[in-house]
Order: sequence, then C-alpha cells, then structure tokens
Amino acid sequence: MDKKVIQIENLVKYYDGRCVLDGINLKVPEGCIYGLLGRNGAGKTTIIRILLGIETATRGQTYLLGTESGRLSSKQRGRIGYVAEAHNLIQSYKVGRLIKLCKGLSLQWNEEFFNHLIETFRLPMDRKVSQLSTGMRAELNLALAMAIDPQLLILDDPTLGLDTVARRQFLELAIELLQKDGRTILFSSHILSDVERIADRIGILVAGKLVVDCPLEELKSRVKKLRLIFPEEAPESLHLTEIINQQKQGREMVVTIANLNKQKRAVIDTFKPSSCTEIPMSLEDIFIECTKPVPAAVVD
Amino acid sequence: MESVRSYPVKVFAMGFVVLVLISLPLFWGRLICRTSLSNIMSHQAETVRIEPSRLVPPELENDPNVERHSYVSSYMNIEEITFPNLGIPDYFSARMPEGRLSNLYSFYSHSQRSHSFYFDDKIGLFVHCKLLRQNRPGQRKWSKKVNFYIGPEGISETPDKTLGRFIEPVMGGDWILYDRKMHRFFHINLREKTVVKGPELAKDDYHKPIQMGRLHKGEYLSIHWSAPQIKATDKDIKERGWSKGRLGELIPIAEANYVHDAGEYFLVLDESGRIDLLDKETLQFAGIGGYLPAPETFFPSKEKVTPKDVLSYRVKPLAFAADNKYRGMYAASISREGTSMTLAVYDENGRLVRTDCTKAGEYNRYRGSSKSGTIPSSRAFYFAGPWAPANTVVKYLLENFQPPIFSIISYFTASSFEAGSGYRALFILPNSFIGMLGREVGDNAVARFVFALFVISPSIVLGMFIAWRVCKDAAAVGLTENARLCWFIGSICFGPAAYITYRLTRPRETLVSCPNCGRLRRPDMDKCHRCGSGWVVAEMTVPRWRVIDRDFAGEEQCETSAGDGADGAAVDRTVERE
Amino acid sequence: MLTLIKREIEDHIVYFLVAVIFAAMLVATEISVFYKIGSDEPQSASFNGPPAVAFLVLLFVVIWSTLGYCAMGATQMYTDRTRKISALLSTLPVSRGQILLARIITGILGILTVQVPFVITTAVLLYIFVPPVPIYGGFIFEIFARVFLTSFACYCIGLQTGWNPSKITPTLGGLVLTCLFVPLVQIKGFGLEGLFILSLFIAASLICTWHKFRSASL
Repeated sequence: MDKKVIQIENLVKYYDGRCVLDGINLKVPEGCIYGLLGRNGAGKTTIIRILLGIETATRGQTYLLGTESGRLSSKQRGRIGYVAEAHNLIQSYKVGRLIKLCKGLSLQWNEEFFNHLIETFRLPMDRKVSQLSTGMRAELNLALAMAIDPQLLILDDPTLGLDTVARRQFLELAIELLQKDGRTILFSSHILSDVERIADRIGILVAGKLVVDCPLEELKSRVKKLRLIFPEEAPESLHLTEIINQQKQGREMVVTIANLNKQKRAVIDTFKPSSCTEIPMSLEDIFIECTKPVPAAVVD
Repeated sequence: MESVRSYPVKVFAMGFVVLVLISLPLFWGRLICRTSLSNIMSHQAETVRIEPSRLVPPELENDPNVERHSYVSSYMNIEEITFPNLGIPDYFSARMPEGRLSNLYSFYSHSQRSHSFYFDDKIGLFVHCKLLRQNRPGQRKWSKKVNFYIGPEGISETPDKTLGRFIEPVMGGDWILYDRKMHRFFHINLREKTVVKGPELAKDDYHKPIQMGRLHKGEYLSIHWSAPQIKATDKDIKERGWSKGRLGELIPIAEANYVHDAGEYFLVLDESGRIDLLDKETLQFAGIGGYLPAPETFFPSKEKVTPKDVLSYRVKPLAFAADNKYRGMYAASISREGTSMTLAVYDENGRLVRTDCTKAGEYNRYRGSSKSGTIPSSRAFYFAGPWAPANTVVKYLLENFQPPIFSIISYFTASSFEAGSGYRALFILPNSFIGMLGREVGDNAVARFVFALFVISPSIVLGMFIAWRVCKDAAAVGLTENARLCWFIGSICFGPAAYITYRLTRPRETLVSCPNCGRLRRPDMDKCHRCGSGWVVAEMTVPRWRVIDRDFAGEEQCETSAGDGADGAAVDRTVERE
Repeated sequence: MLTLIKREIEDHIVYFLVAVIFAAMLVATEISVFYKIGSDEPQSASFNGPPAVAFLVLLFVVIWSTLGYCAMGATQMYTDRTRKISALLSTLPVSRGQILLARIITGILGILTVQVPFVITTAVLLYIFVPPVPIYGGFIFEIFARVFLTSFACYCIGLQTGWNPSKITPTLGGLVLTCLFVPLVQIKGFGLEGLFILSLFIAASLICTWHKFRSASL
C-alpha cells in the first residue's frame, strides 16, 4: 500500500491569467479507488489531463507510476486506461476502425474480455463514432480503457450519459477490476452515490485547493453537522475554527464543522445550547456543505 | 527544467527559419534593384576599344593609306550578368562540357557517329570514345564503338594499369594538359598514339595553372581584334598577298586561329592571375604573356586580380597566319559587381601596351540622354542613369535590413568568395556596398573600418532600437538576466530577424497582477520576478478548513499553504485525531 | 509505429491518390518529351536530357507539388488539432514523438510517391537515349535530392503553420511562406550550398514543430 501510483506536488495551473489550481498536493496509493470531487470548473479534469501529460502544468510536478507525466514511456502508458469526460474518440472513424487502431497500438489486449464488453453494450461496429449516442460513446470509451487490462484506470465522469443499467454494469466492472492485485482507480464523478459505493479515499477541490483528502469513513467522522437550539437568540458566532457552514434562524443554529474534537465541543458547551443534535450526512450532503459558497459570517 | 534547457534550442531553430525566410524577399528586392540598374545603364558602358592595338607590325600600322588602325575591343552584356550566376543556371553551366566542374571536354553526336572525350576519375584515365553507326533504311544496320584510354604513359584501347594514372588533370585545348599532382605537362597525340611528357616542375614551383588554351570564364563577355583597314588598289592587294573578307573588307593580315592559337606558345592561366606562355614543343614555360586586367571598382581595390576575383574574363593570343609567330595577347575582365570591364593589351614580351575601362557619361534628365563617357562605369552604374540614384538608395536600404553581424562579416570576407557566388548570396553579401568597402585598399585600416560602420549605421541603429524593445519586453515577461543579455546581443547582431524570432518564441503565459507590488508577473514562476514575493492568489476565496489525513508512512502531514483565507492570516491546521 | 503510419495514410489518402495521379502524369509527359526530342536524332537527347528533366521538374514538381506538400503538412496538423486525434493517441502507449515521427514519415512517403517513379523513369530514359558519359549520374541524383529536400522543407512549413485553431494561418501562412521559400532552389541551385541550407532549414523547422507539438495542450 506504500507505493504511490499517482503523486502530485504543488500543482498550479493558470488558464489565460485565471487560476484554476493553486498548489495541489495529492498521493494515491496502489490498490486504492480515489474519488476526486468538485463542482463544475473546480479543476478535476485539469488535474487528470495534467497527470496524463495531455495538458502542461503552469507549475508543479505530477507523477504517474513513479514517472513524471511528461516523460511517461510507451510501456507505462500501456498500463493506464483513460476515459475522458467528453469521450475523446476520433469522431470520424467507424467503431470497428477505432477498435482496430487502439488494439494495434496497445501493448496488451484482452480480446475475450473486450468482446464480452462489446456484446454487453451492444455496440455497432460499422457505425461512425459521431453517430453513436452519448451513452454508447461512453460505453465504447470504457470498453477500450478496460480491454488493455490496465494497472491504473483514470475515469473522468465515466458514467456521464450511461443509463442506470449501464452505470450499474460499469460499477461492477470497476469492482471486478479491483479484485485483481495492485489495480488503482482514480475517478471523478457527479453521481456521488456511485462514488460513495466504491471509493476508498475522497478528494474535494474548492477554490483551487484540495480541501479534503482522506478515506471516506474518516471524512464522515470528521465532518459533522450539528443542530443547536439555544434558550434565547442563537449567538452570532460560536468562535470556532474550521466551520464549514453556519445557518442561524432564531434560536436554532445549524453548523457544519470540520475536525470536530473535544475542544470544539467544549467551546460549544460554553454557549449552553439547550440541545445539540448531530445530523447524519451522506457523502453528497458533505460535498454540498463543503462546496457551497462560503457565507460572509463564516469567512470573518 | 527541461523547458529551460530546450529554450535556446527552440530560439536558434526558429531564428534560422526566420533568417532564411526574411533573407529571401530581401534577396529578390536587391536583385530587382540590380536588374533595374543594369537595364538603365548606358550602352556605351558596355564596350571598350583600344585603337591602335600596337600588335601589328609598324609598317602596316603606320601605312600612309591606313583608313582605320587595328583595334582590340571588348563587349559585355551587362543585362545578362545576373541570371546566369543564379543557382540553377550556374549549376548546369558548371557541369556542361567545358564547365568548371565538368570532366567532359568535348562531345559530339549525330545519327551516324558520335564521339566524346572525358576524364574518368575512377580509373584516372582520359577516354576518347567514338561510336560509328549505320542505320540508313534499306541497309544493314551496324554500329562500332572504339575507345581509347589515355594515361601518362601512353594510349591503349583497354584501360591497362601500364598506362599509369592521372590524378588532378587540367585539360587545355590542342591536347595539352597539366597534372597538378604530378607537376608536369603532357601532350596527347591521338594520331600517333603517343603521350609526350614535359619536364617535371619542382614541388615548390610557383606556377599553379588552373586553365589552359582557351582562357575564359562566363559567356557574357566577348573580345575581338581587328586588322587595320588600308585603302589599296587591286594591284597592291595582289602584290602584297592580302585577302578580302566575307563582307568584302580588306584583310592585310589574318589571325592564325581566332580562338586560342598563340603560334608557338600556349597560354596558361595561373591561380595568381598571371598568364604564362608554354612552349608547345618542349612543354616548358617560356615567359609571361601578361596578367588578368584589374577592373575598376566603386571603391579603389587591388591592382592585381586573380581569376576568382573577377566575374568574367576572356584572353586571346594573337598570332598571324603568315608566320604563326606569337605577337602578344589581349585580355578583358569584368568586375565582381558586373559594373565595369577593363581591357588590356600585352606585347609579345608580356609588357602592358595599353589598358582602358568602360565609362559612361552623366545622364541628362531633360534631354533624356547621356554625354560621352567620362565617368568609370563602376560609379556611373549607381548614379548616372535615369532613376539610378533611387534604385541605389533602395538597394542600400535593403542591404541595411541584413543583420549587422552579416554586414560586418561581409566586410571582412569580401575577397574570399568566388566572384559569381556573390549573385547567389543570401546572408553574407560580397557585392554589397559594405562588401565593396571590404575590398578597398588603402593605408588606414581603422579609418576604413570606421567608415564601413558608418555605411551600415542604419542597420546598427535599427538593431539597437530592436534590442531595447526586446529587452524591455523580456524583463516584463520575466526572462532571466542571462537570457535578456543574450537577446540584447542577438538583437543588435541580427536586427529584424531577432525581433521576429523573439516574438515567436517569447513565453506565452498570460501575466497576472502581483498582489504585493501590483505589477504583472508570470504565474509559472515561484516568486514574482519584480519584487521577489511569494505566491498569493488574491482572487480565490479559499476555505480555512481542511480535512487531510495522516500520511501513510505514519508521518504527520501538516497542511501549510500560505495565504489561505481572504485576509491572508495563517490558520491553525494541525490535524488532531479525536 | 506502423499502425500510426497506416492511420496517417488512411486519414490522408486523398493526397496519396493525387500524388499517384501526378506521378503518372509526370512520367507520361517525360516519356513523350524524350521520345519527341530523340525521335529524329536519338542521340541528340544527350545534352537536352538533363536540362529538359530539370525544366520538367521545376515546372511541375517544385512549383505545383510543393504547394501540395505544404497543404498536406498543414492538413495533418490542423485535423489533429481540431479532431483531437493526438489527445486520444496520447492516452494509448504512444508518445508524442512517435505521433509526430509517424506523421513525418507519412509526408516523406507522399513525396516519394511522386518522385521515385519520376527518378526511375528519368534514369531509364537517359540510359536509353543518352550515351553513357560520366556527368549524368551526378545530375540525376543531385537534382532529385534537392527537389526532395525542397518538397520536404515545404512540407515542414505546412507542419509548422498547421497547428493552429484558425483556418487562415495554416492556409494563407503556409501558402505565402511556401511561395517565398521555393525560389531558394533557383537562388542556390542544386549544388552543395543548396543542400546545406535546405538541410539546416528542415532540421530547424522540425525542431520548431517538435517543440510546439510537445508543449501544446491536446
């Protein structure tokens, strides 16, 4: 578990003077399923593209399989499967021709598994890629990525466009892949229920920073949402650090806190709330809390 | 970083591409100016005539009935000089028979027969090949090929090793040749199938023949000798044994061979520009015939020229049919720039009899004509014709768009290049004004160089302006001090090409405002290159909390990103486990 | 690598078809010229041979096909950028260097498709019509080598200008630069000077293209 398949050090990316990533540090160990989350435009796809060497970083270093992204050898690339957000396939090619091209360039190709996937997804060989539906393109992309039996699978919103059945099939495929030793998956998705189902570790991008980078269970245990009811008007501020979100209405205050510990509980107790209830949060709830625009009161 | 290492490579590569692509339109611009100047040049600047030639016996030249003295004349077609010296025409002319790079000395072909004479450097022998053919209709067809192989030791129908091997032959006419490595002359006699060897010259002998027999270079120069025109009666003609020409003119004395026959001698052109006389019988040098005349140039240049220094030359000996005795020679040469021609006459002892150069008169704009020639054509070419000064100024300005470094190299290397190559020059320009200055002779080398810098001062000033602009922009985009220095020097040396290269290779990162000093800085640098401050992205409102777990090796991982939070205050981020 | 080259050829098969037709036209024209010159005086093609060949070369190959080669290079890069072909290929076990090398090899094959038949035909016709004198072997090799290099240089100009999102720069830029560059052969000729400058230009152009391609976002 010590071996780092993906390593990102102080990654900074600017697009035309606009900062997208501001000093990202990330390590993904071997055998891990890492869910990278963030709102639209947070920089998830940018990180993935920089990792694969498709995009250049403004500053910082990225490593895949122990090698700098810009210096990956053909052999190393052959061990990485990638499903792009926009299903980056050559639109003018027929499906058959595209498959032949990918097969010809791949170092290893699991023909049986690939044919099984094609049959499962019912992809037509003689149709142009541009004539496929979004879902079919996603399936094709996935099949091509899985057929090479990758050691590392990078998925950028892979289930975008997939119907429910196909999504479930994909998840099962991902789990099946992971059962093989030493396989790693990095994926980003907006369907957090899927992420919650399979991810080991979670990363959340906010304002160019990786504000969350921990195992899923740990995240759930460290981010708590409390409903506090006070005998009189709720205080303006609880004077606590690491408040993610805070809403006050009359005597009630709902506060989301990161890294809730004994000291913070003690501080809350000093305000003598009449009740303090923890609201259970799913990953989606945590994500929404973490990525909501920060209220001015919390910033101050 | 790899990009830092590869930046100079990228700059040099792009710089070369830009340099070539910029040089091409400048070349064509200069060519158009030159062609225009040639077209407007007065025709009187194309001819030189020396009369009397003083090569004719005095009793004829001073005959009381002489109507016109003998003369020697030369003619250059100034408009045809430029294009034959461009790459493709020059390539073919050099490789055609008798071209400077050709091993094929003569070739003739007809349906019935053909012959060729060439040097086969693989076997080191000359080959004389005859092919006789019979292919008339109704007759039996046959063909017969006869080869003669000629070596230093003899002639044979097979390439025997006993024939020896020539190493670096220089073939002249009359079957006389010189081998540069063997240092001796040979005379081939095909009729008797013999090769006569001349005496071997000493290895440190100062003779270095480069051409023999028909001495010429370039096809746009012709020279001609004419006998004196004498009024005589038919009785005189009969008694004196004179003849009449095609046009009915009287020929009191005829040349032995108007091409290259020098009577008992053979003309040999030396590398130094000296023309020696070779005795045809003994194959030994018999004296000096003369020298290639030094053409007039815009700036005074050296008095002795070598074949490499002149664009074209032609030398002809004079021997009379009556006694086949060598009488002297006349030679003409055209300057490198193709703007003037000098004709010289030498007597049988190699003494200079007379020399003259092309001249033109001043152009009268109002009359639309030129006066009779008073100005050497080397100067008149640039200023005397209609619109000539304007063309000259444009040519001068185009030359100043060349990188200053190339202009300075042109100054110092102007004499090194073969004359014709100046017409194909893209970067270093031997025929430019600065090149002509480089060939100027004079006492004070420093003063001449300073004057040369004055001549190219527009390009130097342009280079300095470009250097200032480039350095200013380089500082703004955060190039290192070394890089800025290199660009400064490069811009002064290469002028407009450097500027275009810089624009194409400068870093393309969009600059952002530094929150510390307010000036634009590069986002791909760790610190602001203006004020040295660290990195803060002021426009992003970053949460002040983190949920980062411990590192896998059991180390504490402290998230210490500076400047988090809107107010930049440091936040306690040490992670504590419950 | 073969897969990549095959892909490039299939994607730009139009250029190869045009090249084959062009080569056929050149060969047919050359044969008819030689037979015309040599019909009454077969051996008089001797000195007309090389200049006639060079004239044909200049008129058809250098002037017309160099524009075609520039267009081919520009099209290859432009379609790659707009269809994001390299973006896909980069995710396969293929490096950017291999992608570019395959592209360049395809360009060279396109040039050779026109020139090899022409060279072979010229050599055969000269052997038939012209007596075996030593100068002609050198002529053929040098002329065609320079023409090949000029064509390749124009192709490299296309590669450089083609990596651009707009259509105007690859089209007009490539056209202007090619028209500017082709007369270099007229200036420098088929000798060593021409060889030197063409080789350096090609090397520099490929280095620039490589830098641009390597550092570009796909």
